[in-house]
Amino acid sequence: MALRCFQPAVTGAIRGQVELMQQTRSRGKAASILLPIATAAIAIGIFVADTLTDLEIAFAVLYVVVVLLAARFCGARALVLVAFGCVGFTVVSYIFTPGGSVVQGLVNTVISLTAILLTTLLALQSQKATASLQEQASLLDQAHDSIFVRNMKGIITYWNRGAQELYGWRAEEAIGKNAHQLLRTNFQVPIDDLHAELVRTGRWEGELSQARSDGTEAIVASRWSLQRDDQERPVAVLETNNDITERKHREDEIKRLNQELEIRRLNQELADRAAEIEATNKELESFAYSVSHDLRAPLRHMAGYAELLQRQASSVLDEKSARYVQTILEAAKRMGILIDDLLAFSRLGRAETKKTRVSLEQLVREVVAEFGQETKDRDIVWKIAPVPTCYGDRSMLRLVVGNLVANAVKFTRIRKSAEIEIGCVDGKNEIELFVKDNGAGFDMRYANKLFGVFQRLHRSEEFEGTGIGLATVQRIVHRHGGKVWAEGVVDQGATFHFSLPKS
Amino acid sequence: MSKLGRILLVEDDPRDVELTMTALGEYNLANEVVVLRDGQQALDFLYCQGEFSDRPNEHPAVMLLDLKLPKIDGLEVLQQVKSDERLKLIPVVVLTSSHEEKDKMRSYTLGVNAYVVKPVDFHEFVNAVKELGIFWAVVNEPPPGSMKKAP
Repeated sequence: MALRCFQPAVTGAIRGQVELMQQTRSRGKAASILLPIATAAIAIGIFVADTLTDLEIAFAVLYVVVVLLAARFCGARALVLVAFGCVGFTVVSYIFTPGGSVVQGLVNTVISLTAILLTTLLALQSQKATASLQEQASLLDQAHDSIFVRNMKGIITYWNRGAQELYGWRAEEAIGKNAHQLLRTNFQVPIDDLHAELVRTGRWEGELSQARSDGTEAIVASRWSLQRDDQERPVAVLETNNDITERKHREDEIKRLNQELEIRRLNQELADRAAEIEATNKELESFAYSVSHDLRAPLRHMAGYAELLQRQASSVLDEKSARYVQTILEAAKRMGILIDDLLAFSRLGRAETKKTRVSLEQLVREVVAEFGQETKDRDIVWKIAPVPTCYGDRSMLRLVVGNLVANAVKFTRIRKSAEIEIGCVDGKNEIELFVKDNGAGFDMRYANKLFGVFQRLHRSEEFEGTGIGLATVQRIVHRHGGKVWAEGVVDQGATFHFSLPKS
Repeated sequence: MSKLGRILLVEDDPRDVELTMTALGEYNLANEVVVLRDGQQALDFLYCQGEFSDRPNEHPAVMLLDLKLPKIDGLEVLQQVKSDERLKLIPVVVLTSSHEEKDKMRSYTLGVNAYVVKPVDFHEFVNAVKELGIFWAVVNEPPPGSMKKAP
């Protein structure tokens, strides 16, 4: 009986491991005086009781308590002495105990002695194990890393010197507290995921942000390993934390400096680019200016003198010569229009867009009214769907709609009954407007040429024009951040779309 | 009898001069025109200096001013005229090839009285010049001190 009950007590002393050491370390001073006195008192008590009373039980088994208590403050040699003392007391008691059965007394004494010796043996073993753990613990204290142990409830059970240095809490302040609460640990990932990984693989590694006792932030590279008991149940977590706050701050600083450099570089690039564009614009402007001034003058002279020639020599010119002069006049006039169109197109690229809320509905109505007057002799069916408001430069957008409607009117000229539809698709981020006609259409193979400057898909005898209208449409729409596209079938009609962003 | 004022035509291009004179000639206004070929000559005329030092100090009824001129350009001439107390009453019409917004803005800011873009088409050109000549030399009452047509 007695033998069975002291076995777990001794193994428990060994199992107490790190926690025990921690406790002995903190309580050692008070125990150093009280415990030997109490132990001696108990030993004497047992001796007196065992000697004076004639109990038919192995009373001396109680010396086990003395041995166990002594184990807590004695070294190995002293413990052996205590054990022999207890054995001596037991034998003396046996000899001097009055009366009783000799055999019974002998059996009891043997049981008691066996118990004492066995306990001593185990206590010695335990002491040895404790000593080695203590040595390890002091080694952990030597480590620069902060190391602490917390049980599965998160309560801190061990706290090394590194942890004290890192966090500012002493062991006696930290032990018994909830680790995450004490350190105000900030997890990058949900703690449940983290624990799941820990239980599955037995370890976890990562960066954590924690708070020191003075409230400042400590960034640590944290490594956790899970301790399991004999039955493989998780019992504790060993957390080794490496202070990387400074490194992290340096890294952040480097990152910030790099970003700053990058921003500065980009800004410089932007400024260079802007200066380039500015220079190009200036060049373009002076080009347009000289076109405007210098190219038109000779043209005017050609037209003027051809006209004068026509007047002066109309009586002497034969029919062929008259036609030549007429052609010169027409060509000059046409070139004048081309130059004007091109200049207008170029101005469009340089003009600032003045954006406001624009009622496309009203704008479409204005344009249609304008063309309605021009085409009152033609049979045109206009289908106009409701169109929302948009955000843009009104006069520019009027040019867009005007050009598209003008095209539709022009290319449906070959139809007895023309149909022109203006509709809208009100999208989430953009507004799309389309102008659809049943006119001459175009070959989709040339769709990419539609919006180029001076690009024409019809011969000038068929349909007049300079080829600048759709280029103007595209330029304006692009300047509004929108898109243009078209579909067409030869001799069946065309649909021109443009979209504008809503914001 | 209509009183014709004198027309100053400041134009460097001889072809433009000829075409303009032809247009004005169709309405018998050509005799009233003094042609000046650059900005400096225009200012000399207005200030009665240099080759014009002995001309009677009277103002023209209108000055038709090209912008692109040798030596001193049209805008500089305009600025000089409109900033001089003695000259600023002279009506100035810019007659130019330039459609440019910039030129129009600058001209009106300086106080030009009209801005006309020379049309490429000769008929339109003739019409424009004719109307200008008739309006400024015949219809419009010039400010006091302007030259009158010799009776």
